[in-house]
Amino acid sequence: MSQTLTRRQALHALGALGAAAYLGVRPRPAAAQALGQQETVEEAMKRVFGGKTLKDGAGLVKLEIPFIAENGAVVPVSVEVQSPMTPTDHVRHIYIVADKNRIPVVTRVGFTPEAGQAYMAANIRLGDTGDVRAIVERSDGTWLQVKREVKVTVGGCGG
Amino acid sequence: MSDIGKVRLRVPSTIKAGETVRVRALVIHPMERVERDNQGKIIQKNYNYIDKVTVTYLGKTVVAFDTTQAVSENPFFSFAFRATDPGVLKVAFTDTNGGKYEGTADIKFS
Repeated sequence: MSQTLTRRQALHALGALGAAAYLGVRPRPAAAQALGQQETVEEAMKRVFGGKTLKDGAGLVKLEIPFIAENGAVVPVSVEVQSPMTPTDHVRHIYIVADKNRIPVVTRVGFTPEAGQAYMAANIRLGDTGDVRAIVERSDGTWLQVKREVKVTVGGCGG
Repeated sequence: MSDIGKVRLRVPSTIKAGETVRVRALVIHPMERVERDNQGKIIQKNYNYIDKVTVTYLGKTVVAFDTTQAVSENPFFSFAFRATDPGVLKVAFTDTNGGKYEGTADIKFS
């Protein structure tokens, strides 16, 4: 009898664990909200990169984005970081931040060494003429930043 | 709008073992942007946009994008991965309405 009880308890405990793991794996809505918020770029920088020293990554980070974006709704951007991408030395994250957007943090890309190359590209929206930054977190804890001004003819963020 | 969630993956036609390969993934999705009323106040509602893109290769996550509404409509994402073994490359998209879309590509060596 007591054995049945312990088994049941054990199963309950397992179930709880499973639920916790399930919840833990996907804190998605909260995380998404935390990443893209309506704020000024200063607030965003403080919130996401607070206390980090962002070094100039001019030689290592290649940010490709048009100088003039005729349509702010679709702006192709690509970032490539020179890195050996080994387990000990790789790029952990690339952030794209658009200073004049009402949601300044555009995207965060997480890499593992299996990627082989720290490269990402996407189409983003730009609300107004302003700087676009690529911020890179490396596995040794250093942060790099490059930025470039993009002239936007027609803003693409709408409301 | 029945096209929402259509995923297209573009992988180079010839891949050599051990090569680092760049892939382009495109998904059809409206990526709703924030709407405002006349006073410029944000209308609170659950906007439907993709907030997570996960790339898995041989069962392991290679690259993960966390995206916001500042990403264009019908977005494309490009990334690289090291093709070590033949297998399946899977790109999964999740939007804020709980929609899940995925595309797969078979990685074979010629």
